[in-house]
Amino acid sequence: MAKLLVVDDEANIRLLYSQELSDEGYQVVTAGSALEAVEKLESESFDLAVIDIKLKNESGIELLQRIVKERHTIPVILCTAFSCYKDDFSAWLADGYVVKSSDLQELKDEIARVLAKRQRGAYV
Amino acid sequence: MDWECCWSREQIEPESCPYIGEGEEDLLVSQRRRIVEKCVECPRFKNDLARMKGSGYPLSDVLPYILTEFQEQKAQMGAMLSFLNSKTREIKFLREVGLVLQTSLDLDEVLSIAMTAITAGKGFGMNRAFLLMTDKDRRHIRGYLGVGPRDYEEAWRTWEDIGRSNFTLRQLARDFQKTKLTSEKVKFHDILNQLTVPLADQGHIFNRALTGKKPILVENALNNPDLDRGLARILGVDTFLVMPLISRNRRIGVIIADNCITHKPITLQDMQSLETFAFPVAFALERASLYERLQEEVAKQKAANVKLREQQELIVKMEKMALVGKITSSIAHSIRNPLMVIGGFARTLLKGTPDDDDKRGYLESIVRETRQLEDVLSEVLDYSESLFPVTDFWDLNELVGKAMGELEGTLEQAGVTSRLELAPELPMVRIDYKQISYCLKTITTTALACMEPGGELRIESVLDGDGVLLRISDDGKPLTQTAQEALIAPFFQTQELGEGVGLSLCKSILERQGNSLTIISRPGGGNTYSIRLLTRKENI
Repeated sequence: MAKLLVVDDEANIRLLYSQELSDEGYQVVTAGSALEAVEKLESESFDLAVIDIKLKNESGIELLQRIVKERHTIPVILCTAFSCYKDDFSAWLADGYVVKSSDLQELKDEIARVLAKRQRGAYV
Repeated sequence: MDWECCWSREQIEPESCPYIGEGEEDLLVSQRRRIVEKCVECPRFKNDLARMKGSGYPLSDVLPYILTEFQEQKAQMGAMLSFLNSKTREIKFLREVGLVLQTSLDLDEVLSIAMTAITAGKGFGMNRAFLLMTDKDRRHIRGYLGVGPRDYEEAWRTWEDIGRSNFTLRQLARDFQKTKLTSEKVKFHDILNQLTVPLADQGHIFNRALTGKKPILVENALNNPDLDRGLARILGVDTFLVMPLISRNRRIGVIIADNCITHKPITLQDMQSLETFAFPVAFALERASLYERLQEEVAKQKAANVKLREQQELIVKMEKMALVGKITSSIAHSIRNPLMVIGGFARTLLKGTPDDDDKRGYLESIVRETRQLEDVLSEVLDYSESLFPVTDFWDLNELVGKAMGELEGTLEQAGVTSRLELAPELPMVRIDYKQISYCLKTITTTALACMEPGGELRIESVLDGDGVLLRISDDGKPLTQTAQEALIAPFFQTQELGEGVGLSLCKSILERQGNSLTIISRPGGGNTYSIRLLTRKENI
């Protein structure tokens, strides 16, 4: 069972993600801030992180930078309300990119795609 | 006594006097006029006088004195009449020319009337004239226009044409402006090119004439030790007149006039007449040149004003749009999360609701309406994102790598290679990714315009205090001060940078985000564009 870290500063969204992704068969751990996410990343191992690009008082991109620098093996999917990041971002740092929507199907597909890619050995 | 001459007869037959020509038949019946006009010059009359002297008439000794005095007086009268006639012609001519010169603001028209006046038979009748004018920066006198025939053949042909036409001077000048001015400007190109003289060369005859404010008649130029023989060789004559053109103490230029075809001597009277003429010409030339420059400036100002107005309108529009965008984006963004929660949980609930449950219809409505709202929000956000900067922290080196990757084709097309010297471990910079990427691409494109194939574009990133410096250096021709000023003055047009607002827009974008753009032309060649981007000290 793949273990996911979901980082979002909105409790309801964390709950929604948690429920929906658990239904998909994933083990979901949530974090409400970048600091909490870093702590969890240091103490547990994850197969994938889903990070909101806009966290309160801090940037999801900076968290992403840190993850990329320190934990090269964990793939990251960025979620945001802004679609403008997509063109610039998906090509380099993040492994996936999803525009936030009440329909989580796109996120679920993206998670499956990134994990499948990881299983093929791309992140070893 | 039988007299040889006919002076004693009241009326004569035509064969009696060989000096009475066609059209002078009235002299045959007018004894008084015949004596005054013909006999006093007639050799037969002189013989009669000599015979008379020996005849013992008392008046016969005195008559020759009276006759001589009469002849001298007559000659003087003739000369004065001729002088008066020539002055009358000159005044009429100057009036005609003056009228044009006083009213015309067209430099070509002034040139045409002035040069036609000097060279036309109805004017001063010089064979050839060159006009030299001081250049705009007032450092040199330069050959501007030459008028006249290049050789005998052309001279006879031109003079015959003019002789056949019955044009007034003004008509001649108009004809010249219409049909010949352009070709005449080219015709003496070789000579005109050699006539450039620095205004500082006080010994040169042009400057001597300008300083002395008097025309100088140069004679025997090839053997005159005080003169530069080169000038005579260039002109191909050893006698010519140098006429200064001065208006209100400003040195406007010089006219050189000569009789290269007829070699007719240039008289003192020619000089004086031309001197009288030179003043209005100088004044008219100055006025027409100033008017021409004024027109150029007015046209430039008008174009700049139009551009400025367009840009101002654009800026106002952009600012309004940006504000609208910012507000809508902020609202839309804060709506999206709750909407996602509402729609998301409705979907979750829907999954666990049996098909026959009444609540299912309500939940489906919530999901559908939420989806619709999300679609509207996406549209609003997509639109507003393009209107205001979304600043965030980015890795500049990544941005450079990606932007340069996109420009690979452009670089290849220009035959230019790029070298990236990016400092590792740079702090992230707070920028709008798209806009900075645009700035980098614009600067690179601008740099490429100054580069030759085979050149190298160097892009460096270095830590610079609390910022990161991005330097783009080309090895092309250095930009002039004007081109560099284009950065400081938005919408300034230069030949090097074209009329786009690319670089000034970059500067504006960067400054709005608290960053800066500077440009330095390296003395050894090439330009360096430096972008300084701010970082935040407390990077997480």
